[in-house]
Amino acid sequence: MKLFDLIAAELRAIFTNDALILTVFGGVIFYSFLYPLPYEKELPREQTVVAVDLDGSQLSRRLIRMVNATPQVDIVRQAYTLAEAKEQMLDNKLAGILVIPAHFYRDILQGNSPTVSYSGDASYFLVYSTVLEGMVAAGKTLAAEVSVTRLLMSGQTMELAKKQYSAVTLGLHAMFNEAGGYVNYVIPAVFVLILHQTLVMGVGILAGRQNEQLAAGEKLYWQDVPASALLLVRAVLFFAMYVVLSLYYYGVSFEMYDIPRLASIKDLALLSVPFLFSTIFLGITLGNFLPRREIASLIVLLSSMPIVFACGFIWPASAIPSPILTAMLFIPAVPAIKAFVLLNQMGADFYQIKSLVSHLLLLTLLYGSSAYIVLKLKMWKGKTEKI
Amino acid sequence: MLPETRPEKTPSEWHNILTDPWLLSLVSWLPPVCFLIVYAIFAQGLARDLPIGIVDLDHSKLSRQMSRYYDASPTLSVQNHYPSLEEGFSALRKCDIYSLVLLPDDMEKNAIRGNPPQVEAFYNNQFLLIGKLIKSEILMAHSTLVAQLDTVKNLSSKTTIISQAIGDAVPIGSQMTPLFNLNKSYAQFLVSAIIPATWQIFIVITTVLCIAAELRREGLAVWLGTHPAHALFRKLLPYTLLFWLHGISFLVGMFVFLGWPMHGNFGFLVLCQLLTVCACQAVGSLIFFLSKDPARSIGLAAAYTAPALAFMGVTFPATNMNDPATVWRSILPISHYIDIQIAQTNYGVPISMSQSQLESLALFILPGLLALVLAGRTAQTKNRVKT
Repeated sequence: MKLFDLIAAELRAIFTNDALILTVFGGVIFYSFLYPLPYEKELPREQTVVAVDLDGSQLSRRLIRMVNATPQVDIVRQAYTLAEAKEQMLDNKLAGILVIPAHFYRDILQGNSPTVSYSGDASYFLVYSTVLEGMVAAGKTLAAEVSVTRLLMSGQTMELAKKQYSAVTLGLHAMFNEAGGYVNYVIPAVFVLILHQTLVMGVGILAGRQNEQLAAGEKLYWQDVPASALLLVRAVLFFAMYVVLSLYYYGVSFEMYDIPRLASIKDLALLSVPFLFSTIFLGITLGNFLPRREIASLIVLLSSMPIVFACGFIWPASAIPSPILTAMLFIPAVPAIKAFVLLNQMGADFYQIKSLVSHLLLLTLLYGSSAYIVLKLKMWKGKTEKI
Repeated sequence: MLPETRPEKTPSEWHNILTDPWLLSLVSWLPPVCFLIVYAIFAQGLARDLPIGIVDLDHSKLSRQMSRYYDASPTLSVQNHYPSLEEGFSALRKCDIYSLVLLPDDMEKNAIRGNPPQVEAFYNNQFLLIGKLIKSEILMAHSTLVAQLDTVKNLSSKTTIISQAIGDAVPIGSQMTPLFNLNKSYAQFLVSAIIPATWQIFIVITTVLCIAAELRREGLAVWLGTHPAHALFRKLLPYTLLFWLHGISFLVGMFVFLGWPMHGNFGFLVLCQLLTVCACQAVGSLIFFLSKDPARSIGLAAAYTAPALAFMGVTFPATNMNDPATVWRSILPISHYIDIQIAQTNYGVPISMSQSQLESLALFILPGLLALVLAGRTAQTKNRVKT
């Protein structure tokens, strides 16, 4: 069999396998719209909150107005006791409670430090942090105003009072995802995982289908070609398909969702080579052990959740038990997600991700050899059976 | 062969489960193992000792004190001191540290002179949840230290009464309460949602696979026979019970064994799980009869269930999703279930408050009916072909 015939036969096997096409092209395109869908609004805003004003002074009302004015919080109700506020929160599915203590104004005038209580619904962490962000910011602003007023009263000039209300000030700067948008957070990482998972599935479905055919006693086009030729042709064809799909993700999709693209095409390409090849080889290796084509999708699907949560962008790797981290080292998506995010979202240069790239190269080597061995064994088995 | 003679010959579904290793794994050890892996990832619950870096240009007593303060926070750990901002940023970009704090030169001198210096903290907001945590911890550590400095300053210049000095330094105290998850435990927050999402994946794909198994036996028509509804129910019932059991066991694991707060009605929650299992099975059957091919239907099931967690509203609030996202959310049984679970375990509200979710779950009878219609049609066409 000539190389050209092998390529043609391989292409036919890929493009006549509708489950493979559905998973690879259908999956990649469908997910590119579905995954960002819940996060379209990027930030949770105007979380509804109940206020309990036990003071009823002009200053307490001022704090309530200030909290209400933040983009994060919307005070929709007032309660007279904490118990009532809790009830209202549950009945109306509110996100938090602001409690201003009795004698709030008097205590401030007397120079005591009254304690304002901010509570949020921590069943949802993003809701909680949004509510707290808004309330605490308003509280801090009011506290700063109080300090400045006090300094003015003690005879400072406005100029100095504005500067001196705190001994050391703090400037907090969000880096890389300045606005804290959820799309920018989730999508760059998840898209790499989608490419990885659909690629393993695609290669696996092809292998699984051919295992079915072999089991049924059919003769396949590659049974009399060298294992290396099949390995190479299959890997290059899937690579070519995924270069197109990667371009769609990192180009068209990122553009559509306004996700930063800091990496140069050259760096992305350099990173994609070991990423895609290690993934394809993993798929071929895995595919060898699949009795049926649907099992590939099954295994990949079940592995998705642990990979997302153990790859370090949601939960710090240092907090994950080491046996799990060790297992994760063998999944190309794990170093790849980090490498792509560092390169494209955080503007790291290629030199800075070199350990991740070498990790991917090692996986390419590992799975490349395992894929070669399993194909070789399969062909050898086919031949001995023929004899 | 007359279809009427069939029921005596077909083995019970239990027999099918026991003889198919893949099905057996899916209903026995795989779900608990997946649940345990997810739990293990987050078992630590709180992120501790997240690495941050310091650029200390002052080298004073004050700057050293500040860096000790950041280190003292249980969440943060000063991993490295960098001689220059460039080197610090490079480490931040490489993800060696999650935050870089710049202590400016002449900081101590300026602070003493009453010309407040500004500390700059840069934190990695690409990893949003970690970023939020770091930000609030730095803010907290900073505020504590500054309050102390201000108090000491006040004691030395203005007043000798400690409470007055504190009141002056901190005009308004704040108390933050994460309601319903008092420790802000990530395990309780995320695992209680990831496990149901994984459970849904298991139920839907097992439903698809168990029906697909009939394709490999005598074909769908023979299996469905003259009473397709009967055949389908007979097939699915064992899985209903098994997955209900898995549901109950993860509830017991989380809310009894791990002792996470459970303020509601356990019995009601368990009943809702039964409804959820049936709803997932209805969708699973529909998915299968729409494609009637194992690999394609698993692909569809993957597309349907894999992104479910994003739509459940736990990580990103459902109230801030756009309309298409809300629609997709409502066709996932698990998003209704999780609302009920949170209402019971966290809020402990009366059962009546979950009425709308119960109605939504009941509506999944529609995909079930549709699946039955399609099954009936499959049985008819195939039987007609035969006769």
